[in-house]
Amino acid sequence: MIIKGGIVYDPANGIFGEEMDICIENGRIVEDAGGEVIDASGLLVMPGGVDAHSHIAGPKMNTGRIMRPDDSRIGTEPRTRVCRPSTGYTVPNCYAIGYRYARLGYTTAFEAATPIIEARHTHEELEEIPIIDKGALTLFGSNWTVMECVRDNDLGKLAAYVAWGLRAARGYGIKIVNPGGGEAWGFGSNVKGVHDPVPHFDVTPAQIIRALAEVNERLRLPHSIHLHFNNLGRPGNYTTAIETLELLKDIKPSRMRQVVHVAHMQFSAYGGTGWKDFESKASAIADYFNQTNHATMDLGQIIFGPATTMTADAPLEYANARIGHQKWSNHDIELEESSGVVPWVYMRKMPVNAVQWAIGLELALLTNDPWKVVMTTDHPNGGPFVNYPEIIALLMSREKREEEMKTLHEVVRSRSTLPSIERELDWSEIVIMTRAAPARILGLEDKGHLGTGADADVSIYNIKPDEIDPSKDHAKVKVGMSRAKYTIKGGAVVVRDGEIVAAPQGRTYWVDAAVPESDMDRMLLDLKEKFERYYSIRMSNYMVQDAYISNPFVVRAGVQPLREVI
Amino acid sequence: MRTITIKLPEYRGVPVEAERISPDVLAGLSIREISEVEVWQGNRRLKLSDIFLISGDPDPDRPENTRIVVEGDLSKIKRLGEGMSTGVVEIIGNAGMHAGNSMRGGVLQIKGNADDWLGREMRGGRIVVEGDAGNYAGAGYRGERCGMRGGEIIIKGNAGAFLGEHLCGGTIEVVGDAGDFPGCANQGGVIRIHGHAHLPGAEMVKGSITAGSARVLPSFAYEGTVELGGLTYKKYVGDLVENGKGELYVASDQIGK
Ligand SMILES: [Zn+2]
Repeated sequence: MIIKGGIVYDPANGIFGEEMDICIENGRIVEDAGGEVIDASGLLVMPGGVDAHSHIAGPKMNTGRIMRPDDSRIGTEPRTRVCRPSTGYTVPNCYAIGYRYARLGYTTAFEAATPIIEARHTHEELEEIPIIDKGALTLFGSNWTVMECVRDNDLGKLAAYVAWGLRAARGYGIKIVNPGGGEAWGFGSNVKGVHDPVPHFDVTPAQIIRALAEVNERLRLPHSIHLHFNNLGRPGNYTTAIETLELLKDIKPSRMRQVVHVAHMQFSAYGGTGWKDFESKASAIADYFNQTNHATMDLGQIIFGPATTMTADAPLEYANARIGHQKWSNHDIELEESSGVVPWVYMRKMPVNAVQWAIGLELALLTNDPWKVVMTTDHPNGGPFVNYPEIIALLMSREKREEEMKTLHEVVRSRSTLPSIERELDWSEIVIMTRAAPARILGLEDKGHLGTGADADVSIYNIKPDEIDPSKDHAKVKVGMSRAKYTIKGGAVVVRDGEIVAAPQGRTYWVDAAVPESDMDRMLLDLKEKFERYYSIRMSNYMVQDAYISNPFVVRAGVQPLREVI
Repeated sequence: MRTITIKLPEYRGVPVEAERISPDVLAGLSIREISEVEVWQGNRRLKLSDIFLISGDPDPDRPENTRIVVEGDLSKIKRLGEGMSTGVVEIIGNAGMHAGNSMRGGVLQIKGNADDWLGREMRGGRIVVEGDAGNYAGAGYRGERCGMRGGEIIIKGNAGAFLGEHLCGGTIEVVGDAGDFPGCANQGGVIRIHGHAHLPGAEMVKGSITAGSARVLPSFAYEGTVELGGLTYKKYVGDLVENGKGELYVASDQIGK
């Protein structure tokens, strides 16, 4: 296949809007190829989109669907020759997730939080999401075994448990959510800062985070630790964010990437002492990111209208349910986590929501290096991912931001710096934040770029970059980005003229990390006892078996050979 | 006014989704075009004329000048008058589920009984039912935070359970009795029940419910008697479970049935 005449953006390979042909063979980008010709003359061409933080599969998603039949009614689409029926807006059914990502030109999305014990369900749903490649991060932040290893300062054992946990969950990386808080919530409390001890475990969130970060590098995992801060969603929490990032400054990454990826930064960039004097501290956060090089973030941009919040931060969800007077679900996940689901509505005239909206945009615009930023809505916490084109248009056009701000509560002008920000992102920066950076941050070497050997995931939009000025023509940008003219996934055309034309099964990525057998043996001895004494199921029923993943892509990692690394 | 008559001969099939029987959709169409309008019967796509006999004034008119008369036992014909904004729909017979749902204006008259979900989530207009209504009249559909937001429903017979659940506005009047939990989670609408109401206003926050007689929940506070339209009522405020400020009036001489 040859994609002819497109205006190609491939910033990872130093290509910033050049007219060139892209050749594809056997699902890969190659130097030369024959076969089908796709005429992309003058059109915007880029690598397929990569979502590094989204909630698309697992029990919390299903809880959302069950408690929100009102949401299922929105966004129903009948089946077609190729597609199964779609339902839902904030909590779409599995099929809709795949089709909608593909129509946006996205070809990869990672589920951001799965407890090991519930991973089987996550994979059952991932299997049903068509087209896109996917993976799931595994929760370790409030896990008994993790906290015991941290307390005993036994990183060898901790590494063995993480490697085993990733294998048991067929997981891709270490997710940490409000570390320690999930366990504290089991006793009706929470941890209030990084140095606040977890009840009954004699460890602090700071110790948990540092130990998991060290183990992450010891195991040379493709992704860094992926961190949802303590105090998330609370006024004044930006100090917790910076304090936490400071803890990790001296850790050496084992690969060419960050040491910590911050999940949905927007929810942790808050100033003020309460909701009354709530304000943006995005500029302080962006300054920190500009002065350091060990952290990356995804935005967690909010979108006005309905959302469904779902997180392993159960005490936060309890607070949300109380504030919003909403129906809610809370869940104790045995020795591993807690979680919650609460429907939400972000309102333009609500002061807090208006400022939250500004914060996401400020973070993207005030952070100088786009490689440190991933565009997300923390779907569906900040709003559904189908709204990415809206965010792209906002980031590319100050005029659009001004128009939007006129419809919001006036505090958006006094409690954020957004009105004074002139920066308008260009196509290269958009491609970095939606493709190149998330792929690099996740450690997906064959994604997010169009170099020889890369996965043939390509999106082509009905936008002529040489003819439109995104700053003025933001409406055209939004429309054009909403429905790809072509989405090519693994060398196959899956979207043509905005419609799904094929729905192949994507791959599921997981990480198999090696650890010394002695560490694994002594870890398992302990773990077996935990299963006997505490778990509701046996270890043999716990592991995700190979049968659950029809199209796996296993990334090897692990403790390096004993010789010294130079 | 243009009249369109849609007759249903005896019908034994599975339920039909007839949301297109509405002045907004049919007014601008000729009788021949109306015959071609698509309806779903289960998973089969049919033409209106495959099920109904269609007659009436042949020429298109504006929706506000259009009256649609639907005749027959329509208890398996769902969503009649869905979303209509103007004009008149007259149902001579029983109406199936979801009649007049999401209505914004106009008049829907039902000469027989209405099935469940009558006028659910309606925003305006007027529904009059000569017979009984099923469950969830004027309610929100599963999971919604708002049912009816405006307009008026008059039920001359009895209403089923969950009348006006999550009512956010508008008025519902029931001449007969209401089933279990009328006005539950009322957010600001008005319900008048001439007959008996069983456990009205559970989780109610705002709005008012009046009943001829009622079994009152223990989570309502008694505030004494008041005179309304020449009658004496016992006034309650609740539901205290929700810190509610809803008002419940029960004609004082018929309490505790
Ligand atoms: Zn998230």
